Amino acid sequence: MKSAREQVAEALARIEERNGACNAFVEVYAEEATTRAAAIDERVAGGEDLPLAGMPIAVKDNICTKVGKTTCASRILEGYRSPFDATVVGRLEAAGAVIVGKVNMDEFGMGSGTEHSVYGPTGNPWDTTRVAGGSSGGSAAAVAAGMVPVALGTDTGGSIRQPAAMCGVVGLKPTYGRVSRYGLVAFASSLDQIGPLTRTVEEAARVLGVIAGEDPNDATSSTRPLHDFVAASRETPWNLRVGVVRGWSSAKNHPAVDGAMERAKGVFRAMGAEVVVVDLPHAEHAVSAYYIVAPAEASSNLARFDGVRYGRRAEVGAGEGLEALYVRSRSEGFGAEVKRRIMLGTYALSAGHCDEYYKTALKVRRRIKEDYDTALGTGEHGEGARCDVLLLPTSPTPAYPIGEKGNDPVSEYLQDIYTVGVNLAGLPAISLPCGLAEVGGKELPVGVQLVGRAFDEAGLLRAAGMFERASGFSGVSAPGV
Amino acid sequence: MTTKPRTLDDIEQVDLIVGMEIHVELATKRKMFSGAPNPAAPSDGTSREEPEPNTLIDPTVLGLPGALPVMNKRAVELSMMVGAALGCRISEFTKWDRKSYFYPDLPKAYQISQYDLPLCYDGAFDLPSLDAEGRIDPQGPERRIGIIRAHLEEDAGKLLHEAPGGRAIEGSIVDLNRAGTPLLEIVTQPDLRSADECVAFARILRDICRSLGASEGVLQQGHIRFEPNINTKITFFDRSTATTPIVEVKNLNSYRSLRLAIEHELAEQPRRYLQDGREMGPGMKTTRGWDDKREVTFSQREKEDAHDYRYFPDPDLPPVVIDDAWRERICSQVGELPHRKQIRYMDEAALSPAEAQALTAEPGVAAYYEAIVELLIDKDDKYRTDREHAGRAAANLLLQSGAKHANERGVSVDRLGVSPQHAAEIIFLREDGRISAQGLDELFGLYASGEAGDETAESLAESRGMIVVRDEGALEAWCDEVIAEHPAIAEQIKGGKDQAIGRLIGEVMKKSKGQADAKTVREMLMDKLKA
Repeated sequence: MKSAREQVAEALARIEERNGACNAFVEVYAEEATTRAAAIDERVAGGEDLPLAGMPIAVKDNICTKVGKTTCASRILEGYRSPFDATVVGRLEAAGAVIVGKVNMDEFGMGSGTEHSVYGPTGNPWDTTRVAGGSSGGSAAAVAAGMVPVALGTDTGGSIRQPAAMCGVVGLKPTYGRVSRYGLVAFASSLDQIGPLTRTVEEAARVLGVIAGEDPNDATSSTRPLHDFVAASRETPWNLRVGVVRGWSSAKNHPAVDGAMERAKGVFRAMGAEVVVVDLPHAEHAVSAYYIVAPAEASSNLARFDGVRYGRRAEVGAGEGLEALYVRSRSEGFGAEVKRRIMLGTYALSAGHCDEYYKTALKVRRRIKEDYDTALGTGEHGEGARCDVLLLPTSPTPAYPIGEKGNDPVSEYLQDIYTVGVNLAGLPAISLPCGLAEVGGKELPVGVQLVGRAFDEAGLLRAAGMFERASGFSGVSAPGV
Repeated sequence: MTTKPRTLDDIEQVDLIVGMEIHVELATKRKMFSGAPNPAAPSDGTSREEPEPNTLIDPTVLGLPGALPVMNKRAVELSMMVGAALGCRISEFTKWDRKSYFYPDLPKAYQISQYDLPLCYDGAFDLPSLDAEGRIDPQGPERRIGIIRAHLEEDAGKLLHEAPGGRAIEGSIVDLNRAGTPLLEIVTQPDLRSADECVAFARILRDICRSLGASEGVLQQGHIRFEPNINTKITFFDRSTATTPIVEVKNLNSYRSLRLAIEHELAEQPRRYLQDGREMGPGMKTTRGWDDKREVTFSQREKEDAHDYRYFPDPDLPPVVIDDAWRERICSQVGELPHRKQIRYMDEAALSPAEAQALTAEPGVAAYYEAIVELLIDKDDKYRTDREHAGRAAANLLLQSGAKHANERGVSVDRLGVSPQHAAEIIFLREDGRISAQGLDELFGLYASGEAGDETAESLAESRGMIVVRDEGALEAWCDEVIAEHPAIAEQIKGGKDQAIGRLIGEVMKKSKGQADAKTVREMLMDKLKA
């Protein structure tokens, strides 16, 4: 087994070599990582058993680390240094992992292509003229390009799974409450979850085992018991029941995505799983509900960025007053997409519109959750379809060209059609590579996602591990890697 | 048709209508949603100094990116107790809502509060009458004050416009020491009808909060802040009436300013009405501040009720479910409220309102007093049927010797270190005539200073030579001598002028070198003179 120093040196060399092409890393902590790796080697030599000894990890730029800056790819947090580590960072480091750098994202997690970033877009390692997906595009690209074996991402409406699918890696969004959000700069607090992007299901399971679990600093973290996720990922489930969702009229899939779904069903059937069709009658409305709930929470969460205490403060002349300080700092600090969502959310919560938008969206959210619960046999109203997992596309299209969605936010929002319902329902889901498709003369990865029961990541990883072994789609490297 | 403008002379009567909002900073160790120390926590008695700005903070108080709130359960429990004391119902299910507005003292640009499901609601409180000194008048009528709600929220920080110590600065300092302090906001129905009633309610609420340990209740430090919502009903001689718009006066932190602000508005609102003709209605409520120097209110914000705070449930905090067991465990700790205690002490031991108030003002003192009374009653058949006597004796000890030593040491009497047991022993010695009044005070002082340790009062009095002379023969001899030496005074007393006896008692005491018991001496002299 390689020493921590070797693993970290290798990662740093690959970042040096490959990051220029795809702009995944926004900061690299070469010196600190090397020092830490040496310390871990000493601890291991001293007999300590560290589950992630020396594993180089990239961290999305919205997760607080004492090392380096934490900016959410936003101008408003220009130069911001967190005085504390996120709980997940502390747990990873305690387990022997080494943070090698911060990776790119859509500003505050708002976007589906890592194009809305103060650091510029991240290119997809499979075709750098195309997006890496988003908002955890930097995390997905860093893993897909072989720069690091593991990256942390965050998923509010698909931001781990969709870039994982577009970059051909594994992306796991845990159940809401499974992983502490302490130190995750909030986008939409009732939807955000941190999770790993990895090359294999087992690595995702290993990282989940380290970062999951109750945290006294996060009141929404769950006390539900953890399982041996690595063991689960190696098991083959018996009598697996896989639900395939009946098509939604508003979903216009790229043929490559339909092809991947057929391949996935074939793999499950070949492994003896029963594939059944289920209905999620309200799931079609998930995007509408999501684009009320998430911006509403975001408008409140991002109100604290006012230029008063930290981050970027606009120049304000003497006598211009407080209002000018607020307006100018926020106008200059936030990008267009973030402003759009702050305005959407503020409107949805304002007196006279709150019932029509926000409260209606919450009702739809409840219906969507009931749909998923019924399909997964955990509903209050009968056993439903009793599926162990649901199989859905991750994204309706493979990676699209950088700049394509520039003037069409709604088309970008529709990228989330298969992912946001899972966040609204709070369920765990994993995106798995499901082969390649030729698009525009280049081979691009296509993913599918499995959705599991709440807090049953073990069951989800069991199905995902079986799929991965049977399909052989994981671990396929981007060209030139 | 034109009518002549009306003047103050056309007004027959003005009725005052006040509903109070009272903010109470809870005395938890830590802040409402973070582990940072709470400036309103009970002081340890060593330092009352204002901490340096921005020293009682952490990432959550600062609203740093990634920091999260975690509910302080103790603050919820203290609020439940205050709510129960005010006769409120306690919610089985409550939640936290974000109230959004931008201000530099509000780090997250929202305040975590409770919007539509307050922790406590639908209360009723029977307010006793207070006399001119603010003491309970048990003969006065009680008034029932409705409590709309009592909800919990976090306090904001402060803007300082000068440096600590008063040095002038350019710009302002944002001090977040107070930010995140647990704040219980109590809202009454508009049931209060006079400034006196408002002050009475404020005083009694403060006593309740202190007795429950819910707040330190130091008004000068802003632990309790009053925001009366004031309007008036004007009746004209022509029988027509008008109701003036509600004025909310913000942030009053003394009884005096509360009284003056209400009286000011009572006088001003009819004048304002005659000028602008505005009556109560939607969008008419205004917010005014209080100028303590000029003793007037001043306009702060028009259309207070038009502000849109965009309330929505805080997704960082799970709702709070309060089951019967939890509620009962907490509410059963409320016990007898201090104003009820005062009335009982006046009743049981014939204490004056001032004495009863003194014994119930500090949370620990009443318990200390009652412990001594119970020991007096338990120990000796003499007091078993005479609670009044025991109560009087204990009150005398605590309000005389006790108060003196407590003052000297700057602590409350229950914290002097004199156990109820020793206090009771001292009282027994005195009641039995075995120590003098001076001896009683000395003994108490010996215990309070720690010199006495755990020795019993009796052995302490003996070893220090404080047991009064019991030799009836010697006493009688001294009494006879004194009567013989002061025949004129003796005659006066025989003639019915009892108060003259003090001089004779003093002479006997001199002869005994202070070792005689004055009470015994008095009785003996009386027997001799009146026989």
